[in-house]
Amino acid sequence: MGIKKEADNKYIINIKNLNKQFIVDKQPIDILKNINLQIKKGEFITIVGHSGCGKSTLLKIMCGLVDYENGIVERNGHAVVGPGPRCGMVFQDHRLLPWLKIKDNVGFGLRDLPKAEREEKVEKHLEMVGLKGFENSYPKQLSGGMAQRAAIARGLANNPTILLLDEPFGALDALTRIQMQQEILRIHQAEGTTMVMVTHDIDEAIYLGDRIVVMSARPGEIKEIIKTDSIESKKRGSTGFAAYKKRIYNYFFEDAKDLMDNMEYAN
Amino acid sequence: MKNNTMKKVILGMLLPLAVIAAWFYVTTYGSIPSGILPSISKVSGAFKTMISTGQLQEDLIVSISRVLKGYAFSAFFGILLGSLMGMSKNIKLLFQPVVTIIRQIPMIAWIPLIILWCGIGEMSKVVIIVLAAFFPILVNTESGMESTPQGYIEVARLYKLNAWKTFTSVYLPNALPNILVGLKLGLGVSWMAVVAAELIAATTGIGYRMSNARSMMQSDVVIVCMIVVGLMGVLMDKGIGIIFDMITPWNRAEKSN
Repeated sequence: MGIKKEADNKYIINIKNLNKQFIVDKQPIDILKNINLQIKKGEFITIVGHSGCGKSTLLKIMCGLVDYENGIVERNGHAVVGPGPRCGMVFQDHRLLPWLKIKDNVGFGLRDLPKAEREEKVEKHLEMVGLKGFENSYPKQLSGGMAQRAAIARGLANNPTILLLDEPFGALDALTRIQMQQEILRIHQAEGTTMVMVTHDIDEAIYLGDRIVVMSARPGEIKEIIKTDSIESKKRGSTGFAAYKKRIYNYFFEDAKDLMDNMEYAN
Repeated sequence: MKNNTMKKVILGMLLPLAVIAAWFYVTTYGSIPSGILPSISKVSGAFKTMISTGQLQEDLIVSISRVLKGYAFSAFFGILLGSLMGMSKNIKLLFQPVVTIIRQIPMIAWIPLIILWCGIGEMSKVVIIVLAAFFPILVNTESGMESTPQGYIEVARLYKLNAWKTFTSVYLPNALPNILVGLKLGLGVSWMAVVAAELIAATTGIGYRMSNARSMMQSDVVIVCMIVVGLMGVLMDKGIGIIFDMITPWNRAEKSN
């Protein structure tokens, strides 16, 4: 028991030899191949790759929305069998329910708590993402960036050990996106929540990630896991930043002939 | 804004006023027998008499209570079956063919069979209303449920909502605007159905009053009834619209910039 306990605390996410296939037109297609990834408590992991490389599927497997056939996927020390309250998720389209006020959207996963406690948590998280005063607004009254903040507040409201972010800033304009990147970093540091973000924006991956997981497309395989220097990677203009960028670009040079298209897409 | 409302009122009133003016002109200076087209004063006289004897109110209450019975039944079962069909492929496959065929039969065409089966009492009117109102409610509810974005359903799964909670907090609110359309259409056709059914076979109700007045050549009473039927239809439609605005406040919320 004592040994197991120790193992529990070591990794928030432990993935070993994971393979995932989808059946398309009766043909099995490899989506993920031989994925091995261990994520420690408090880490910020970014996963970067082409559209359709299976990175979103990987994220959904981590949170239990998509099942897997073989390999080991453990979250908080237990095999993942479905969604759980200790794992929050933020999607690209904010997915706030349009018929609920912001406070009810943020408190959506807290329905089992007593009212006072729920309200307190909602208020705390709204304040954390800078949406105090918008409790009674409806999602369509908020801008894209604000809606995404509310979605982050919803993801964090029930104090998950891990927050999974599936291209959360992909639909935002460039300026808002940079602002949101700074915000999520601040929240990550303040809350200490483990975060995993899927992105196709290489700059974003470098800026946010303690480690960057570079994935190839079809089948999705991990090419490299790059550990970033916490000082260099936070300076967008630094030579260190440029070096990381070049290193990641090289994978996609090798990978795809239509690189220029993808680079445009990534930016 | 104010100019727009003025314009709306003036343009909207133009045709009714023209019709009334033409009516007035023809009945005052023309040579149409009053049994065919009574004068405005004769119709308003008939209206006053019908109100003061309480006959109009009585007829209306009979017809409206029939509508409410049939409509409540249709609304409940239409939303129920529509929801099930919209959320479950298998239930849809089971019911879809039957629903599609039955929908093609016009409401009026049911009347002979319903009279054979249920006579000309209360039951037959209610059954006809149900047949008329059930399908628009069913079909619109179903399409509202089906339009629920997969992303919202995924959010419900993420937070481990059970089937009932997923229905009440995701599917149902998403489908509400469509359900409203179905309920509005359903109420409209219920009202039409009850009048039609009463015209053909009844001994009470506003439709019966019309048919009875026709056989006694009381064209003024016929016209009063027609106007009242039209106005009641409009009132019901507006009423249900107001109720729905109240229960879907997120649709009214304005974008703040």
